Amino acid sequence: MNPPETNDPLDAWLREQDKYIEDNGFTARVVAALPRRRRAWLRPVLLLSAVAIGSVLAVLWLPWGNLPVPDSSALLSLDSQVLMPWVLVLSVMAALVWGTISALEWED
Amino acid sequence: MSFTDADLIARVLSHEDQNAFSELVRRHQSPVRAFLARMTRGDAHLADDLAQETFLKAWQKLYTYRGGARFSTWLFGIAYNEFRMASRRRKELAWGEVDEAMMASEKPAAARDSHLRLDLTEALNLLNSNERAAVVLCCQNGLSHKEAAQVLDCPPGTIKTNILRGKEKLRRRLSLAYKNYESA
Repeated sequence: MNPPETNDPLDAWLREQDKYIEDNGFTARVVAALPRRRRAWLRPVLLLSAVAIGSVLAVLWLPWGNLPVPDSSALLSLDSQVLMPWVLVLSVMAALVWGTISALEWED
Repeated sequence: MSFTDADLIARVLSHEDQNAFSELVRRHQSPVRAFLARMTRGDAHLADDLAQETFLKAWQKLYTYRGGARFSTWLFGIAYNEFRMASRRRKELAWGEVDEAMMASEKPAAARDSHLRLDLTEALNLLNSNERAAVVLCCQNGLSHKEAAQVLDCPPGTIKTNILRGKEKLRRRLSLAYKNYESA
């Protein structure tokens, strides 16, 4: 580290107080306590796999062919026959998109 | 042949090499433990516990180290987070911040017979944790304001302010000893 260039005696005094601390077994204690390191790639891969499986199930099971056309009168009347299939499809799609983004942005 | 920190980190990441990691710990244990001892106001036992946690976190999260900052700066950041979490847990203990009245008071020093006895360590302990962290990182460990800002997760301007305030308080507390030091 590069101490800042300064003529302030207080800085010099502070640096004088910075003594080296002997290890005295500290490193050995840390190494003895090391857990297995979590594999960084494992969780995002699991999440992406779940998203892939979810996507396949969504393609197979969601009522793509029977989706009612949402016209304005059905939307305004909150007709559940029209809205519920769309709510289901959009919820599943949102969950899949969220899962994908989370997996790609995964840090820990 | 001596390896750089980057070489050792690469070995840890590719082979989970504990020997490489222990070399990193050996290199950086002193400044990290000293920093935490300052932050915990001289509680060496607690500081070592926090330092151990710091290196264990570093081991687990090493893959998040991007190499943009120095490894030591990254470690100080983890250490400071450990300190902050510990201070939240220990709020009931005497870790509270020192208020301005106590800082300005001359009576405690007089009660200790002499201003000279109030040494730099005691004076540092009277700073609040933000000022103490900024002063210790920049003035003792030689971090730049930008690096200290990364460690403490605040703007560089705040670091400058905390250093100025902290050093001003130190000067006030150490006035007599400081004059002796200057004339020496």
